[in-house]
Amino acid sequence: MSNPYLPVLILMVAALAFALGPLALAWIWAKKFSPKKPGPAKNATYECGLESKGDAWVQFKAEYYLYGIIFLIFDVETIFLLPFAVAFTGLSAGAFVAMMIFLLLLVEGLVWAWKKGVLNWE
Amino acid sequence: MESLEQIKSRIEAAVPGARIEIVPNDSPSGQRSLLVDREHGFAVAKWLRDDPELRFDYASNVTGVDWPDAELTEKVKVKKVVDGVEQEVEEVRKTVRPGYLEAVYHLYSMERKHGPLVLRMRTANRADQVRLPSLTPLWRAAELQEREIYDLYGIVFDGHPDLRRILMWDGFKDHPMRKDYVEPDDFEYEPTPHDEVLERAWRHYPAGLKQ
Amino acid sequence: MDEGLRSELQKQGVFVTTLEELYNWGRKNSIWPLGFGLACCAIEMMAASMARWDLARFGAEVFRPSPRQADLMIVAGTVTKKMAPQVVRLYNQMSEPKYVIAMGACAISGGPFKQGYNVLKGIDRYIPVDVHIPGCPPRPEALIHAFMTLQEKIDAQQLKGEGRPRHLDPDAPSEFPIPEYGEHDLEPPKNPEVWRPAVVVR
Repeated sequence: MSNPYLPVLILMVAALAFALGPLALAWIWAKKFSPKKPGPAKNATYECGLESKGDAWVQFKAEYYLYGIIFLIFDVETIFLLPFAVAFTGLSAGAFVAMMIFLLLLVEGLVWAWKKGVLNWE
Repeated sequence: MESLEQIKSRIEAAVPGARIEIVPNDSPSGQRSLLVDREHGFAVAKWLRDDPELRFDYASNVTGVDWPDAELTEKVKVKKVVDGVEQEVEEVRKTVRPGYLEAVYHLYSMERKHGPLVLRMRTANRADQVRLPSLTPLWRAAELQEREIYDLYGIVFDGHPDLRRILMWDGFKDHPMRKDYVEPDDFEYEPTPHDEVLERAWRHYPAGLKQ
Repeated sequence: MDEGLRSELQKQGVFVTTLEELYNWGRKNSIWPLGFGLACCAIEMMAASMARWDLARFGAEVFRPSPRQADLMIVAGTVTKKMAPQVVRLYNQMSEPKYVIAMGACAISGGPFKQGYNVLKGIDRYIPVDVHIPGCPPRPEALIHAFMTLQEKIDAQQLKGEGRPRHLDPDAPSEFPIPEYGEHDLEPPKNPEVWRPAVVVR
């Protein structure tokens, strides 16, 4: 009786009963009174009044991911640029040059992707 | 803006072969319009848009009109020999004007701040030759309204990028805004029936209404 | 149960009820409408759910975006023939029990557009309507009145027997045929099992 986990167990049972009780009640109620009435429109997946057409599996263009990656690179770049811009007045010329080289590397990649035709959306 | 007569003569000089008519209007507004033949309708509209004096760059409204076959009566004085004596007798002549469908464009110029110019085009008849050039390539604003005219009047616009029905569903066969459209007889009760609706109500309640 | 005995018990501080009353009391105070408007009546419907008219007093402020979670369809506005199949399909997709309020002249009969070519002459041609509210558009008070009428109707429903509502009857239909787009009109133009033409009395 002196098991310290006993209250936890009791609480668990109470929680389960609290959750399952109404569900069981509703289930018994439905069994006793309300008959099930499924139908083709009621069981349809899409529920906005229109009939669904075609397949939910659509192909994404591979360009989308390339776009996404390029966007992500420059998105992350702003995270580096922001503290640089905030502390700009206190920085040395070397820091500025280093940042410009960092920028140049990324822009170089963008130019290369552009040349490859990744940015042309067809 | 120049007068319609001036515009007409300039169009005739610029677009050779275009047959242009000024349609009078005896209503209080007195707004006359230009009637263009359908073969040159597109060229004339393009000229109206691009002419540096006029620059109609905005089509504010496009609508359709249905003109059913009409019987025109006119009184004509004819010289006739009656009982051996030549007399002037009034005679009533009846002519049947075949029906047609009409598309009406209201054009304004944003750049020159003038307008409207009312441009009309007519189809050959109401049954099988119902084609008109689409002016959507010139004014993008006409796209949906030409679709609406196609839906409700049945004018087929050549050169329209996306000519589908817009208000009614795709399988619909009729053109509801035509004068000879008969709507489905699908309502019965009307609290105060009269005229056509009364006749229709009689069909649904042969005994009930005559009491 | 005997009314006299019940009031006597109530005076003693004992409240008795039946399962039926409890069930109906719960249902009538938690009618969730489908968030669904077709025309200008929908504006009045929105006003009714806002602070000034406060439909929440009737437990009906939860406008559900999904028919699966809704109990009540307020057909608020003109039902065009192009929209009618969608409305009927939405009604079919609602779970039982479900109720319909036809709000405004258009939803009842086609209203001012009755003689037009593209307006359905009343949504009760396809689905069973519980409460009709006239008006063009009806004021939010009228909608609230319709709610109270519906609540009274729910309150009077029986659990068993002949007079039980549709959702408790295993033989009553839950879905109604969805009209199709025809060449000249909707096919069929009405559902004769649901709709009977009005009787002319002169």
